[in-house]
Amino acid sequence: MKRGGLQNYIIRRLFYAFLIAFGVVTITFILLRIGPSSPADKYLANISARTQDPSQVIEAVESRYGLDKPIYEQYFNYLVNLARGDWGWSFSTSMPVIELIKRHWIYSFQLILLSMLFASSLGILIGIYSAVKQYTRTDYIATFFSFIGISIPNFWLGIMLILVFSVQLGWFKTYYDTGLPMFSLANLKALILPVITLGTGMMAGYTRYARSSTLDNLRKDFVKTARAKGLPEHVVIGKHVLRNAILPIITIIMFDLAGVVFGGAYLTEIIFGIPGLGRVSFNAIFANDYPVVITITLIGAMVVLLTNLATDIVYTWLDPRIRYD
Amino acid sequence: MKRLAILIIVFIALLTSCAAPQPAPIPRPEPPAQKAYPEVKGVFIEGTSGGDAETLNWLLAADATSFSYAGQCIDSLATYDNDWNVHLRHLAKPVEISDDGLVYTITIRDDLKWTDGTPVTAEDYVYTLKNLMFSDWLNYTYQTDWQEEVEGETVFVEVELVDETTFVIRRQTADPEFIDNAIYSLTPYPKHIAIKYEGDLEAFTEAEEFNNLTYTGSLGPYRFKEWIRNDKYVVERNPDFYLGQLTGAPYFTEYVTKLFGTSAAMLAALEAGDIHHCGIEPEQVAKFKQMEGIKVYTVPTRAYDLIVYNLRPNGWEGLQNKAVRQALSMSIDKQTFIDQIRYGFADPAFSFIPMPSPWYTEEGVSKFGIGDLYDKEKAKEMLLEAGYGTREGDGSISIHDKDGQPIKLTLVTTTGSKLTEDITLFVKQELGEIGIEVDFKLMPWPTQLRQYMMNKVPGSDQEPNYNNGPDAVSEEPWDMMVLAFNTHPIAPSGSRVFFITDGGLNFWGYSNERVDELFTGVRSKEAIDPEVRKQMYAEISQLIAEDQPADFLSFPRSNSAFQANVEGIDPGMRMGWNYHKWYFAEP
Repeated sequence: MKRGGLQNYIIRRLFYAFLIAFGVVTITFILLRIGPSSPADKYLANISARTQDPSQVIEAVESRYGLDKPIYEQYFNYLVNLARGDWGWSFSTSMPVIELIKRHWIYSFQLILLSMLFASSLGILIGIYSAVKQYTRTDYIATFFSFIGISIPNFWLGIMLILVFSVQLGWFKTYYDTGLPMFSLANLKALILPVITLGTGMMAGYTRYARSSTLDNLRKDFVKTARAKGLPEHVVIGKHVLRNAILPIITIIMFDLAGVVFGGAYLTEIIFGIPGLGRVSFNAIFANDYPVVITITLIGAMVVLLTNLATDIVYTWLDPRIRYD
Repeated sequence: MKRLAILIIVFIALLTSCAAPQPAPIPRPEPPAQKAYPEVKGVFIEGTSGGDAETLNWLLAADATSFSYAGQCIDSLATYDNDWNVHLRHLAKPVEISDDGLVYTITIRDDLKWTDGTPVTAEDYVYTLKNLMFSDWLNYTYQTDWQEEVEGETVFVEVELVDETTFVIRRQTADPEFIDNAIYSLTPYPKHIAIKYEGDLEAFTEAEEFNNLTYTGSLGPYRFKEWIRNDKYVVERNPDFYLGQLTGAPYFTEYVTKLFGTSAAMLAALEAGDIHHCGIEPEQVAKFKQMEGIKVYTVPTRAYDLIVYNLRPNGWEGLQNKAVRQALSMSIDKQTFIDQIRYGFADPAFSFIPMPSPWYTEEGVSKFGIGDLYDKEKAKEMLLEAGYGTREGDGSISIHDKDGQPIKLTLVTTTGSKLTEDITLFVKQELGEIGIEVDFKLMPWPTQLRQYMMNKVPGSDQEPNYNNGPDAVSEEPWDMMVLAFNTHPIAPSGSRVFFITDGGLNFWGYSNERVDELFTGVRSKEAIDPEVRKQMYAEISQLIAEDQPADFLSFPRSNSAFQANVEGIDPGMRMGWNYHKWYFAEP
């Protein structure tokens, strides 16, 4: 592979990423602001509780946050502020958006990272083992459980895990405790149930993909050649089969990662009370807190773009035949 | 010899002590009785599945949770208990009101301090009112609480400083509920800090002192510790709390409000003992009442649920007729509704004033939907009389519109609530039994607001609002709407926004001149006499119950669960009025 070719490729992709980011900000802003909803709508429930005339309250709120100005003016101001590194003020949480993201990203990150590790490592191992032991009892058991894993909705699994392991057995707290030190065994323990909840469905999927991909490769000529050369089976599987079988799975994992970042972790965060970006974005959407929604949408888009780029780069390492020059 | 003599003396002494009568004990004065106060211990965790607060900078808040969070660190002038007795908080003595009801003299305690040790003075209150709450630059959300109508103009009340601890509020018109609606809930900002941000909304909005409540000093039972958005709000015991100097209150070292994404997760946490208190749904009450270690209190609320009839021109024309509305309400069985949908945790409602209110009355109030006034046959007769039916040969009545077509009504409700969906189905079934078909439309709240509640006169250039006059109609037609409102039990006149002809939230188009007059009356000099005010509220209740602009369904009761070791609770509508006195009992 030519080094310069890959560099140019990366620069080109990053330029596209910038254009996409601009598009994401613009489209999200317009969609949120041209809709009939206003960030002041949510006050109505409380206004009726305090029996206030709503129009004055809504005017007050809109005027306070500059929402009464024309949309183009709001958009222009938003872009100017963004160019200065000011991501805006979150109406629904009363703090700078960037501060909000800084405080909450880590909760989502640790959950997603551990879930992906749990799902991909176990899923791939079980899938390969299942393929190697095709049509044995082990294969049937793995297949059975992987179908169950795919079928179970994670909100149901989460609630069941809480009822069994927290309420009945008392092994875990019923909710995630943000007071625990981030790098501690207690924190790791607190994440066990959320990670199983989020990771089980993905793990089951990876098991199926890994089994199928391994079976494809086991029938290839290069495997027969390796075996004919007298290589031990673990070398054939570990060196020749795994390296080829894992390529499509990496693509799937990267897509899953994007999906999880965009909201897949939300339900798990809700069930276990984890204040991650999923919850932040969900609440922001319902509060019409558009500076937060735009920022999180942008982060999601960037994660998708960058993971795709990372996948492409990993491909060149795993498969020398792939070149970008 | 000497030793023998001592032994004999001791022996004789022992004998005499056994034989002689015991001298009466000398009475000693009892040590002064020391009242035992609970021990300060433990972290109290309250669970909630509602939304998080928006800000601790409460002058910018419009949501109840923000006021509740800030209120843990800073008290107001006074509060009520469950029996509506006033308990002084920052007030040194009760507010003095002039005989004409126009001048309020307010005297605050002299031992209140900001965090930096500066005394809290009447000047801080006057500054908060005049320079912050009444200012144009800040646009305080609830300014109307402090305004009055004078000769057609809306003006602020006048505020005047008297001395270090006293200030005066003057009105130009009497309003006996002003003290309940505004004065008692007043809380100050520190003038010496706020003055730095005065006039600069952005700086005020982002001020760290106000967003982290670093100024609250001795003003509340707790001090701000930590707030993780969408997760938890933590306050810690305030050792300088002005009410705690004699009693040692509050008795928890920390008070945590923990937010849950679902009520199922919250109830699991309660069952596992991970939280100490939360509200529970009616269908869960029986389960939790059986649990050892959990106690459940059922208390009245200030809410009521109702089916609003559209009285505007784009509603079914029959709804303009009072007898038709009465007939509809007469066909919906409130007791069945309470038993089956509210699981028995509600009382039947006939008007908007809740039962625990001192102004509640049943005298002369028509009780549609219960007893004799729940009668589907009579309802049909009334519809027939109004021209919406035909008597068949067998004597039965078939209901139809004036053109002989079946009556179809559109019932609008919000998605995402099992309760409102249950109510919708119940109403459909009940009205179906008298021959009225009900189609329902479920939609998100913002859609309901914009398309069904906001209105304008067709063809006019009005901005859509909730009440743009009697000829205004919503974008989409509708006939009935399932909603829930609240009434301030001690000052129900705030509900005027729903019931007076030009009320800001009267989106349904109800109008009754006498009701308008009476709502003006309860905020007048005559109503300073509680008996007069009670009569006025009774007449309002009677008129509204008679007019039936809505079918008032029930006053729901709420259920609160606590771990059994939490003591000091005073169960009632204002459950938390004394929460600084709650404590953990000894195991």
